[in-house]
Amino acid sequence: MKRPSGLAVFTGLVLLFLFAPIIVVVLNAFNSNNTLDSFGGFTGRWFSQAFSDSSVRSALWVSVRVALVSTALSLIIAIPASLWARRAGRRARALLDGTTYMRIVLPEIVAAAGLFLLFRRVNFGLGIATIIAGHVVFTSAYATIIIQARVATLSISLEEAAADLGAVPWRAFRRVTLPMLRPAVIVAGLLVFTFSMDDVVSSAFLSGNTVTLPVLIFGLMRFHVTPEVNAIAAGVTVLTLVTFSLSAALLGLRTGASIVVGARPEEASS
Amino acid sequence: MASGALAGGGVSRAGGWGARRRLAKGSLVLPAFGWTAVFFVIPLILLIAYSFGHIDIITFTVQWGWTTRSYSQVFQSLYLSAIGRSLLLSSGATVACLLAGFPVAYYISLQRGRRQLILLVAIIVPFWTSFLVRTYAMTNLLNAHWLGSGKLLDTPFAVGLGIFYTYLPLMVLPLYVALERIDPALRESAADLGAGGFSRLRRVIIPLAMPGIVAGCILVGVPSTGEYVIPSILGGGKVLMYGNVVADQFQSTGNYPFGAALAVSLMAALTVVVLAVRRASARREALA
Repeated sequence: MKRPSGLAVFTGLVLLFLFAPIIVVVLNAFNSNNTLDSFGGFTGRWFSQAFSDSSVRSALWVSVRVALVSTALSLIIAIPASLWARRAGRRARALLDGTTYMRIVLPEIVAAAGLFLLFRRVNFGLGIATIIAGHVVFTSAYATIIIQARVATLSISLEEAAADLGAVPWRAFRRVTLPMLRPAVIVAGLLVFTFSMDDVVSSAFLSGNTVTLPVLIFGLMRFHVTPEVNAIAAGVTVLTLVTFSLSAALLGLRTGASIVVGARPEEASS
Repeated sequence: MASGALAGGGVSRAGGWGARRRLAKGSLVLPAFGWTAVFFVIPLILLIAYSFGHIDIITFTVQWGWTTRSYSQVFQSLYLSAIGRSLLLSSGATVACLLAGFPVAYYISLQRGRRQLILLVAIIVPFWTSFLVRTYAMTNLLNAHWLGSGKLLDTPFAVGLGIFYTYLPLMVLPLYVALERIDPALRESAADLGAGGFSRLRRVIIPLAMPGIVAGCILVGVPSTGEYVIPSILGGGKVLMYGNVVADQFQSTGNYPFGAALAVSLMAALTVVVLAVRRASARREALA
């Protein structure tokens, strides 16, 4: 084993910087010293306090419902669009790629403000439906980029073979195409579920009196650092890590990682 | 691809079938274009329309028209300072992300096998972890004794640090992809031809990684200019960024035309920047 290079040491320090603060939040959630000045021993009190709070529980339930519907809609939008893209003409494809890229890069606050005006204009009451409409704008864009990157690596000869053997398009899609896309669909679904569960900006603009979990936590975080907030934050961290581990467990770490890394929004509109 | 073209030819020869197949193919993209049109493009057009209206001071309703009143309001000092601060903080954080992210991405691209996988996962996990929690994690860090027990909170530094921390994975991933594609033979032949470490980096690696650098800078710099969450949590309402000013107009002041003018200005400015950057990098690539 040779001496670690400067590059390796630097990388190690950056990774430490990325992880340490999150670990501190999780540890503080168990810290029985409520001033958080020092570590006063382990306690589960903050968790039971936070999760027995009915506003936290109802916000969590709203967020889960929003995220489930947003994920389903995102996949319904992204899968066919990705399949379409590989045979589309150059200009039509550029239009899809350009709008997909814009939905990701444009500061969320601009899109959310516009949607807010639209719903006010047509007098559509703000609530779960409008939050979903806002989330799907960007979650479907992420899903499209991930699935499209996978579609680009597939050969179409298998589907053509299925068609030659007499499979109708739907059957060819279900039996041949979809299984090949499965890894990308799983990663896309879990990632956009996580993003929807985590969104503040669109949710704050489009929620009316409905409160999602991130909006509730955001309100708490603006004013205090308390052990309860740490407990909720730790809970959210665990939840997001569960979706990540799920993709790793279903697909293997290597496939999952390569799908996330392989999805390149920057190439979508070049 | 050739077999696809052949199959397509066969379909169109079948006449009416071909038209129907094409229609069916086109309908695949309808959900995407439909959703984008209704919930993204129309709202942006509506923003532009509102931005040229104004608010009636007595009835407090939106009056339509073609006045640029809201746009001249954008240039008032109060808002200009928030806009200037947004640009400064986001470009500063972007440069910091690039400086910290490049060595990391380069190191990961040099690794192989299991080691590379673990390092990649170590970048993906924070990217996957709640953005809100990561922002909040910075308050915990800045509350630490050795960082002044919270003295740095509610300062522009805290907001810039928050952007740097939360957006860093978005810089590393595209950089890694670009660096990973560089043929190791190019690096070696540069070394064989006598290029030292630094000139190898400057003359060979950085130019080849340019697409990743551009992509990373756009992915970090553009969305972070409109930040709302980070300044709210780490700036404590004292360090406002563009997102906060826009949100205020919609959520408390109720001056929609002015809020719309702010949002449209941001969108226009960022579009110009992105197009300019992409053009410059395309030209660079054409020359190379």
